[in-house]
Amino acid sequence: MYYSRTLIEHFRNPRNAGMMRSPDATGQAEDGTCGDLARFFLRVEAGRAVDVRFQTYGCGPTIAAASAGSELAMGRPVSELLQISRDDVEVAIDGLPDERKHAADVVAEAIRSAARDYVRRHV
Amino acid sequence: MRAVYLDHNASTPVHPEAVAAMLPFFSERFGNASSVHGFGRAARDAIDTAREGIARFLGAGPDEIVFTSGGTESDNLALRGVAAARGGGHIVTSQIEHHAVLRTCQSLERGGFAVTYLPVDEHAMVDPEDVRRAIRDDTILVSIMHANSEVGTIEPIDAIGAIVRERGIPFHVDAVQTFGKIPIRLDAWGIDLLSFSSHKVYGPKGVAGLYIRKGTKMVATQHGGEHERRRRAGTENVPGIVGFGKAVECRSREMTAEALRLAELRDRLTGGTGARVADVRVNGHPTHRLPGTASLCFRQVESESIVLGLDLKGVGVSAGSACTSGNVEPSYVIVAMGVPLPWAMGAVRCSLGRGTTADDIDYVLGVLPPLVEKLRALSPVGAV
Repeated sequence: MYYSRTLIEHFRNPRNAGMMRSPDATGQAEDGTCGDLARFFLRVEAGRAVDVRFQTYGCGPTIAAASAGSELAMGRPVSELLQISRDDVEVAIDGLPDERKHAADVVAEAIRSAARDYVRRHV
Repeated sequence: MRAVYLDHNASTPVHPEAVAAMLPFFSERFGNASSVHGFGRAARDAIDTAREGIARFLGAGPDEIVFTSGGTESDNLALRGVAAARGGGHIVTSQIEHHAVLRTCQSLERGGFAVTYLPVDEHAMVDPEDVRRAIRDDTILVSIMHANSEVGTIEPIDAIGAIVRERGIPFHVDAVQTFGKIPIRLDAWGIDLLSFSSHKVYGPKGVAGLYIRKGTKMVATQHGGEHERRRRAGTENVPGIVGFGKAVECRSREMTAEALRLAELRDRLTGGTGARVADVRVNGHPTHRLPGTASLCFRQVESESIVLGLDLKGVGVSAGSACTSGNVEPSYVIVAMGVPLPWAMGAVRCSLGRGTTADDIDYVLGVLPPLVEKLRALSPVGAV
């Protein structure tokens, strides 16, 4: 199974990992088959995610995808985060083997879930 | 960074003596062992020598050893060969057999055979009384592995063999993980068929064996030439067989001392991990376990992330068995043992071998705890 260098780098040195104190929004998603889970926290100012943190349980690709997803989300309008797709996440880590596509699904849904939480709380 | 290979249950490096023994058979002595000329006779002699040595090691007759292409083929030949000879009936096996046995049994079920898959206890041990209770009037074969490749538990083959022998039923033992590592007693344990493999014991890949006790009724499953006394057609892998024979010769010298050495290193690894990492359990029977196999479950840490993290530190281990390592589901063996899911998802197997040193173990003990700590710190799930 081939993992891209980008994926390996994100796994080795995950960015933006950890909890957030009093987040403006929280979102979570879980893969029903393998139990991989990602949770995202957003700090939002003027409608943009100015800080993004994540926690994750799962395989190496899920951890890497969450790290890459946090960078993808950073600085973006919440309106865009509502539309983040699994393809966006997969591109951010330079691809995933077929057996690990679930990593992008979980992370994308967790980011969208956080964005929906913000909208629910503030709109 | 140090390169530490702890996946010997998946495969082993070929012993240097085996490599040296094989080389002439790729160039000068390349004949087909079935050819009548001198080139063929040289190959035939080499196969016979390897066969005699392996038979002697097992306590079998040379004509009771059939060479195959791998442990999977040996298992298939044993099960399908006996099943085809009988035409129907019932087979008893366990839930933790290698996929080569399980999927062959499932295939035989689709062909009309009945199969009972026996459960195991929390140590992955089969209860011989369960075997006794499962045997029916139409049982044609019992197949139980000698030791499990994932957790290393050694099954009570002697007790099971006695029960099976009482009923006059053929007894197949998948010994792919034990041959060349711990003693096997064909006659004392009533074994009629035994699968064993080269590349698990420092021989080359692509060759294995099936012991078939004289008088065991079975038919060939691969047809063609008259090779292996019409039990397995196909031009013999002469270099592979020669290498296998030499590897077994080396095992006969090294096996006993190696088992003691590996058991100490295994316990150093499991004890050291337990002392440094919270919420970790050792899988498998506490005493009846392969000397080189250490299966660990780390609660609330996913096994693939441990495997990848260790890989980036130069350490090769396995999440579950190698054959299922592309799969994100928990190991069916660990699940069959009743290990709860938060633990089962964090199962990692370390399998030591002749090249493993105390320094290797200490290196792993240096990199594993911070890795587990880092992965747990990332996780929102059930912090320890």
